[in-house]
Amino acid sequence: MLERTAAPPAELLARFADDVFPVEVRSAALQRFGHTHSGRERPGRYWRIDLDAVSIDDLAFDPACGEVTVVCDDPRVRVGERPQTLGMTASGASKFGALASAFANRYAFVTIPPDADVERPIVITYRAGTAPLFPYTCVHVRRGARATIVQRIEGDGGAFVCGIVEVVTEDGSDLRVATLQDLPQDARLFLTIGALPGRDSAFSCATADLGAALVVEEIGVELLAMGAQAQIASIFFPRGSQHVDLRSTVDHRVGGATSLTTVKSAATDRGQGRYVGNIRIAARAQKSDASLRDDALLLSPSAHIDSVPALEIAANDVKAYHGATVGALDAEMLFYMMTRGIERDAAERMVTLGFFEPALERFPEQLRDELRGLLAAKIA
Amino acid sequence: MREEQGLSVVGLRAEVEGNEILKGIDLTVEPGRVHALMGPNGSGKTTLALALSGHPHYRITSGSVTLDGEDLLALSPDKRAKAGLFLSFQYPAAIPGVKVANFLYAARQAVRPGDLTPAKFRALLMEQMEALGMDASFLGRYLNDGFSGGEKKRLEMLQMAVLAPRYAVLDETDSGLDVDALKHIGESIASLRGKSDPTGLLVITHYPRILRYVKPDVVHVMLDGRIVKTGDAELANYIERGGYDAIRAETGAVA
Repeated sequence: MLERTAAPPAELLARFADDVFPVEVRSAALQRFGHTHSGRERPGRYWRIDLDAVSIDDLAFDPACGEVTVVCDDPRVRVGERPQTLGMTASGASKFGALASAFANRYAFVTIPPDADVERPIVITYRAGTAPLFPYTCVHVRRGARATIVQRIEGDGGAFVCGIVEVVTEDGSDLRVATLQDLPQDARLFLTIGALPGRDSAFSCATADLGAALVVEEIGVELLAMGAQAQIASIFFPRGSQHVDLRSTVDHRVGGATSLTTVKSAATDRGQGRYVGNIRIAARAQKSDASLRDDALLLSPSAHIDSVPALEIAANDVKAYHGATVGALDAEMLFYMMTRGIERDAAERMVTLGFFEPALERFPEQLRDELRGLLAAKIA
Repeated sequence: MREEQGLSVVGLRAEVEGNEILKGIDLTVEPGRVHALMGPNGSGKTTLALALSGHPHYRITSGSVTLDGEDLLALSPDKRAKAGLFLSFQYPAAIPGVKVANFLYAARQAVRPGDLTPAKFRALLMEQMEALGMDASFLGRYLNDGFSGGEKKRLEMLQMAVLAPRYAVLDETDSGLDVDALKHIGESIASLRGKSDPTGLLVITHYPRILRYVKPDVVHVMLDGRIVKTGDAELANYIERGGYDAIRAETGAVA
């Protein structure tokens, strides 16, 4: 796969090697990328991209390219210091997680000290330049701390971004992470998010994918501690010929933890979406409480979204719910609004925006209006 | 009063998937007057209400409907609302994610663009909600989503009060209400009567009980897609005593 790159792999990886990931670690990761199957379906009638054939051959690598800024006004938060939890999640194991580990070149390292209640969101912004960007965010939330992290990914036309968000939280903490991207229509984004919430902690991960030609996103939450409450909320909205592939996995390995997954997607034009939502409950994870709700809205005849909720439950004393819908705008809803004088276009916009609202309400409050505005612009 | 004033239905026939439901309806609700339309289940009352509002499921095969002289049948549902028609649904649609406050403001802006500042609009809402016995928390809820039957009907009445239409069709607004809710809603409708430019009402109902609050000027009885009898308020009492069978026997209707 790498024969045609400008430099042989070892030499190329040596240029990326740093004191976070030495060349051996990168080399092993690159091998994993080459050998690991994406686990995704092959292209078909609607979905046109083979994720196992995604090539890095034509990428012009440059470790010096790309920017990261971390804005935090709380002096207790340690920014830029490598957290002791680096590499603890399984985020580097997947195909694109491995690629992100191999070339990681911009880091956002954040440690929230014990019992710190960080009021304002910590904002991490990555900006891709002309060369591919491999952002690596690692967040460690210590015991009893509380914080909100907003990660934005920006870039110009043709951007290639492949990154990791890795989160480990300790007992009794409360962390909300939101990622947002509205990249140009020819960009490609591969994002792998891994989280290990602590005992009796609250963790929420919200993702909004509104831009890019191709988005491949994988969210994995491993519940290894009792009493953890995990939430995932995702929205995506492919239009034009955008392809968005989202996979979320919540792994209940111990009992007494709860998870709530909400995905709202819409597609228009020839936009294509795929969502696979996994809930796994291990045999010893009795008294787990897992819920997965996934709704997809098709706004044009050529738009397509596949939705696959998958529950694997090995325990016998659990609460598990899943529901999925795929459909067009409801004619009765539109008629109802029109009988109140609202024109059809405006009614369609309101119903579509409303459709996303249950997921938007899971985003940090500071982001909601911005997201509503971005969605409204897509619908218009 | 000019001759063409009123919500005027002439010879209206409508069908659903080839089945004729309305078989020639004639009635005119004059400005500010109250007409009651009574009839058993399946007689076509709701079809008439939805056909007047332009529901795409119903095909008008002949006849005309005008609102103060304007041809309603040529208009889309939103334009009918702008022309001054309101329908209170028997089963209002639930629209998750659309907050009541935002929806009401959008509707008011659509029907009466820019006539109220947001602050004045809010004051109007608060006043009307108090009259309907509605808590302010209603405004932050999603439209009809998880509402009880009574809450839905209250919200329909709140919308009517906010939009102040020229004519309103109330499709079984009294059904599924407990005594208190019926009283609030009945009084709210009655209060619209006290305005200088009151809404003309077509009140569709099975039961005469709402007519204790909203005294009809005219009562129509509908059977099998036709209006078979028209009278004054006393006709409602007659139906309460003798049921629709008395009307059937009297008019020879088969439905």
